[in-house]
Amino acid sequence: MRIPILKLKNYLLISVQVDLDDQTALQFQEDLLNKIHQEGSFGVVIDLTSVEMIDSFIAKVLGDVVEMSNLMGAKVVLTGIQPGVAITLIDMGIVLDEVPTALDLEQGLDKLQQELEA
Amino acid sequence: MSVQSNVEVHSEWGIVSARQAGRNLAKELGFGGVDQARFTTAISELARNIYLYAEQGEIIIETVENSRITGVQRGLKITARDRGPGIKSIREVMEDGYTTSGGLGAGLPGVKRLMDEFDIDSVTGEGTEITAIKWLR
Amino acid sequence: MKPSVIEMIYSQHDEIIRQWKNEVTELNQFDSTLPTNWFHETNEEFVNLIMGTLELEENEAKEQFRSFAERLMNAGWPLSYFTKGMQLFRRVLVQMLTSDESFESEKVFETLNEVEKWVDGVINQLVDEYTGSWENTLHLQKLALKELSAPLIPVFEKISVMPLVGTIDTERAKLIMENLLEGIIEHRSQVVLIDITGVPVVDTMVAHHIIQASEAVRLVGAECILVGIRPEIAQTIINLGIDLRKFPTKSTLRKGIETGLELTQRKIISTS
Repeated sequence: MRIPILKLKNYLLISVQVDLDDQTALQFQEDLLNKIHQEGSFGVVIDLTSVEMIDSFIAKVLGDVVEMSNLMGAKVVLTGIQPGVAITLIDMGIVLDEVPTALDLEQGLDKLQQELEA
Repeated sequence: MSVQSNVEVHSEWGIVSARQAGRNLAKELGFGGVDQARFTTAISELARNIYLYAEQGEIIIETVENSRITGVQRGLKITARDRGPGIKSIREVMEDGYTTSGGLGAGLPGVKRLMDEFDIDSVTGEGTEITAIKWLR
Repeated sequence: MKPSVIEMIYSQHDEIIRQWKNEVTELNQFDSTLPTNWFHETNEEFVNLIMGTLELEENEAKEQFRSFAERLMNAGWPLSYFTKGMQLFRRVLVQMLTSDESFESEKVFETLNEVEKWVDGVINQLVDEYTGSWENTLHLQKLALKELSAPLIPVFEKISVMPLVGTIDTERAKLIMENLLEGIIEHRSQVVLIDITGVPVVDTMVAHHIIQASEAVRLVGAECILVGIRPEIAQTIINLGIDLRKFPTKSTLRKGIETGLELTQRKIISTS
């Protein structure tokens, strides 16, 4: 299974609609980096509203993909992390310190714009 | 009456089916959204450990009950069992940040914090059995 | 109980009651928590009840004690009144048995044994009644506490406040975190002010819970400002070496709201 990556001007938008399994997550990491390279995108919003569970492996893949994208010059914002997912991550001691977040896709785009203008 | 679900874990798909089984049972029993996430994540972590370190094993999820003065308390119990290499130092794996796989090291102490009760039984060279319970609030 | 023992106690009935009442009066002087106004009436009732258990069926006797204990419990009589009262009763009986030389020593032992069993049974029942009622009360209070735990109040568009009142233990901290995050999603808040004016003590544990909550708030995509930090709280936080630099703090709710408005590109202006 592959997660669709949409292009909107200089941004890439991804809405993850299922709980990620390991293969899908790794495939997504690769697809996203290729797409950033292809399109020369400045910013990425990954919306996780429909994701009900993130374990330590998926969290690591997501954290990595944010850092890798940053290296390639694209800022990433994670949006729509559900309360249960956030609390579970905190319980496990996973903080994702360096990752910008926003409530939803719309605010995520606003945040990207602010950061890119600054 | 106890409901039970058994999942063999010998591939990454075992991890996915184990947590799906767990989520279904948690929903059925009436766990809130946050506790559902805690419970499924714990299963995911335990199933992944089996896959990473023992290659194969099983995850058993069952309902448990506990009589108290204030009524019967219900909960879900995970048993993760494998015939892998076993854990050499349980004290070490229960320390935050300990990892042999290069992961985030949330591992077993993380699982313990997600659940209400947690117990490890491991014999080097024979295998590991981890049991953990989450009570319905 | 053996008929001979019952007979013995009955033959001394009035004397036992007289002595017991005499001694129990002294309890009152030691324990000022006993309600004085109907102390004597209660003693009368208590001792008659004890005597009464000799005649009644076991279950009936238990039932009578249960309703007596329940009534006094609700009126605030301490458990120690019952236990001390029963111990006194035993002492009076023993004294009587051993001072009366007409009893054979073998019979005295047998009687003592019976009396022990009887008195212990009554004490155990009373203790069970009391602890059962305490556990029940504790359970209800926990439920009540849960209900009053931390609502999230939307004060402006995108800004909400969570006032925390009282001590924060791990159980409550979990609940607070869930209310907080679910409220953020519901009200679409970008900034939440956690007001700790009503938290009496901020120790390492409480600070840890607050830090975790603010990290979780950040994950769902909002920002946390800690407000209501009193001077003594600031002192303990620094003295304990707790690092709160990672998220903004303000001394009062008012200043916090101003910061919240700034963060969402707004401010309050005067129209006059």
